[in-house]
Amino acid sequence: MKEIRKDVVVVGGGPSGLAATAKLAELGYDVALVESGDELGGILIQCIHDGFGTKLFGKALSGPEFAGNFIEKVRGLGTDTFLQTHVTSVERRDGHWILEAVSPKEVIKFISKAIVYATGCRERTPFEILLGGTRPAGVYTAGMVQRLVNLYGVLPGKRVLIVGGGDVGMIVARHLYLEGVEDLLVVFPEPWFVGLPRNVQQCILDFGIQFRPRTIVKEIVGKEKVKGAILVKVDENWRPIKGTEEFYPCDSVVFSVGLVPNASKLEELGADIDPRTRGPVVNEYFETTLKGVFAVGNLLTPFDYVDDAVETAFIAAEGVSKFLNNEPKREKPLPIRPGRKVRLYIPHRIEWLQGRDLTLFFRPSVEEANAKISLKLGDLEVYYTRRPYVRPSLLERIVLPRDRIGEKDGEVVLDVE
Amino acid sequence: MGLEGKVKKVLEKYRGRDLSFTIKDGVVFLYGQVDTYDEWIEIGLEVGKIKGVEGVVNKVVWKGFPEEKIREKEERRRKIFEENKDKTVGSYDVLIIGGGVTGTAIARELSRYKLKVAIIEKSTDIATGTTKANNGMIHSGIEAPRNTLKRRLNVKGCRMYEQWARELNFKYKMVGSVWLITPRTLEKYRKYFPGPLYTLILKYVLPYVVVLKAWLNGVPGVKVVRGSKIFELEPYAARDTLAAVYVPWTGIVEPYEVAVALAENAAKNGVEIFTNTEVVGFLKDGERVTGVVTNRGTFLCRYVVNAAGLYADEIAEMAGSPEYTIHPRRGVIVLFHKTTGSYVRHCLAEIVLPQHPRTKGGGINPTPNGNVIWGPTAVEVPDKEDVSVDPEEVQLILTKYSTILSEFPKQKLIRYFAGVRAATFTEDFVIRPAKWVPNLLHVAGIQSPGLASAPAIAEYAIEKLAEMGLELQEKPEFDPYREPIPSLRDMKPSDIEELIKKDPRWGHVVCECELVTEAEIVEAVKRGARTLDAVKRRTRAGMGECQGGRCTIKIAMIISRELGVPLSQVLKEEAPLFNGYVRGESE
Repeated sequence: MKEIRKDVVVVGGGPSGLAATAKLAELGYDVALVESGDELGGILIQCIHDGFGTKLFGKALSGPEFAGNFIEKVRGLGTDTFLQTHVTSVERRDGHWILEAVSPKEVIKFISKAIVYATGCRERTPFEILLGGTRPAGVYTAGMVQRLVNLYGVLPGKRVLIVGGGDVGMIVARHLYLEGVEDLLVVFPEPWFVGLPRNVQQCILDFGIQFRPRTIVKEIVGKEKVKGAILVKVDENWRPIKGTEEFYPCDSVVFSVGLVPNASKLEELGADIDPRTRGPVVNEYFETTLKGVFAVGNLLTPFDYVDDAVETAFIAAEGVSKFLNNEPKREKPLPIRPGRKVRLYIPHRIEWLQGRDLTLFFRPSVEEANAKISLKLGDLEVYYTRRPYVRPSLLERIVLPRDRIGEKDGEVVLDVE
Repeated sequence: MGLEGKVKKVLEKYRGRDLSFTIKDGVVFLYGQVDTYDEWIEIGLEVGKIKGVEGVVNKVVWKGFPEEKIREKEERRRKIFEENKDKTVGSYDVLIIGGGVTGTAIARELSRYKLKVAIIEKSTDIATGTTKANNGMIHSGIEAPRNTLKRRLNVKGCRMYEQWARELNFKYKMVGSVWLITPRTLEKYRKYFPGPLYTLILKYVLPYVVVLKAWLNGVPGVKVVRGSKIFELEPYAARDTLAAVYVPWTGIVEPYEVAVALAENAAKNGVEIFTNTEVVGFLKDGERVTGVVTNRGTFLCRYVVNAAGLYADEIAEMAGSPEYTIHPRRGVIVLFHKTTGSYVRHCLAEIVLPQHPRTKGGGINPTPNGNVIWGPTAVEVPDKEDVSVDPEEVQLILTKYSTILSEFPKQKLIRYFAGVRAATFTEDFVIRPAKWVPNLLHVAGIQSPGLASAPAIAEYAIEKLAEMGLELQEKPEFDPYREPIPSLRDMKPSDIEELIKKDPRWGHVVCECELVTEAEIVEAVKRGARTLDAVKRRTRAGMGECQGGRCTIKIAMIISRELGVPLSQVLKEEAPLFNGYVRGESE
């Protein structure tokens, strides 16, 4: 077996993995980037629509363009990249991480001081929303449809029902419309679309695509092939309203019902998992509860903007550097806890004594106008800001200057009111 | 009272329903009309319970009976029959109808002898009916009622599994089962046992009742466990467990894997397997069947084995020996992610009496691949093909079995599915020569514990065939061994390296959740998989937490390439996965 020694192995060649790799290489570390797919770029390769990079590059790029920037950077730095290479096992031995990986060429054993996981997220399946009925051909997830249409030129169906009013659902609706799908209907349980307002305008309203709020799919109908779906109206608590069931004929049903971090392998390795994000529990540099194992991008929690996902990779790269330089950590980590109206947040603790300002991402649990966002350490309010509007579908980002915390103990509470 | 009187007495209860019956050679034929499907079931079951009744053919109709659909089906069959009855496919000693675990087991057993045998299966693959949606439990035989054929074959069959697993190389683990006795066990009867008596009975009487039942059924090694010993066996079991019964003779398998292994081994020993082959009628010479007519043409044969599962009653009727009606009983099973495997060591159940009408027992089982499954439920459904899942049933499972393992991470649910059991009204296996067709063998009513009994069913069926006149001459070249598709999951790095040198596709991981390589998928196709689901059953590709979200297209492309069909024609099970090309491209 081929042995490769590295300072850091980055697992996953999507935008966050690429960004982490580039940053680590720039910092002078010997990095290997391991990607299981045929090419670099991750999910962005199939995202041929624009809107990527508005924060980072100040313009709206397509997915492949955005990824291309980082791919070139990684190539330019001469980093070792391993394509079609799948990590099959990871273990800690003699102070190192041993990663075994297979590729069509060989079996490789990476011996590394640190790992950056950038394995992204997966789509929630219809099973995870307890969908009833049968499982015939013609049931897809939105990502699968995007891949089919954009990469393989295959149209899933002619009469398509899209379930979910988030960004992915809307973008897929537009693609299918442009590719000539005859009947298209988007349904979602919320009173209005939950994705970015620009997508509502540019993907749905501009094309006059039909949609029904406060509607869910109760059942799929059809034994071998989808014949249709039973739609039902729901109340504000998403409970089906009896008597509003309606059969909707279609040949395909596309589910876009949320994303879940791909954290199973990390969990198997022993990392703590946050039940809110379903990603790993991390410190302010996105180090998991495993020594020297960092997690970045959508593996932490699905981001609305790739720009934010990439930022976590940059921060984690600095964290890897601190880890490799044995920079001092606090005696006891300072936990961050959710206060009122917080659905999920990262990071979960502050661990290093010194370092950069703290970047915190969170989703509120409810919609709130003129929201006050604050961080309290004990009785002391160490940070606060106001936003004209917050809602669960928008991931918020705040930055807490590190000197406001210093070496104090206790716990930091994140609050929205 | 004679049989006639007893049946009359049952039907009297349904006065005003206009019911009548006839009896022929112990088989009761029921006619007339009832209001509901439930009534239809009830009457059938009550007549089936009468001692001496060898079968119930329930011709009663209920309100909403799908007459039109049945007529269409018959007409369709008639049309295909006329088109194909003069075309001969081949001539066989034994023709087995149905490629489930029963049909494949019988085929493999017959392949020991100098016989020309074929399996015909209407679906695109074997094991697509009741077999694929089974919980894979190899029962010990305690549950089966005494004096039934299923008890006898279950007790015998489960002990034959080890040898089967060794020869056929499917995953099999003898995990044993643990039955918990808790304060909920006799809740409904609590009022009869005041104060501490209730606990005393649960702790010191009931376990021995189970042990006695085991002893009477011929299941050895059953033990009563109490106190901390229970939690040594099952660390996460309900804290309020009072006592438990440990049954060593319980195994677990992946049921479709067993059928695939049997079919592969049968094929290796000369059995021909025809998929996409649907029986539409029989050619007969007097009482004897001379040929089975299908959409592919006529299979001439000397003996026919009816192992058609849910359709066994229709096959029997077409052949001229209707002796039972199948009443489909659907069961839902919930499957959890592999990271939950550490929560369960044995097949785990809580004894609750009387049994819940919609679950009839069931429980929590580990699977040979490290997942955990909960269920199944039991619901009578009019439609044999009704494998839909009612989310309320999933909720019922999640709530009901929570008492067994309260700490279990239920959010790790990755899939649920429904299967339909092929129950007859006598509720026992029907394995016997047809009463009115001398060369037809019924192997019907194979519901639970059919999988556990399969090895014994096969042996028993062959005894019956011999009694019917089939000459069994052993074939010296019979090879009992079958090699499984090697799996990256189970390989050492050095083995993987060797394989990659020979074929780089061994290093190309296609399904990341279950670690399945391109080479495994290619091998599955080579072994007869034609569809996405067939590949899935043979390799586990797509069975992980993303449920094929990431790998479906990749697998479809490999199937498309290997079979030389366009991507848009790759099937899921029976229907194409995708509609077609964008803007008519590539067509």
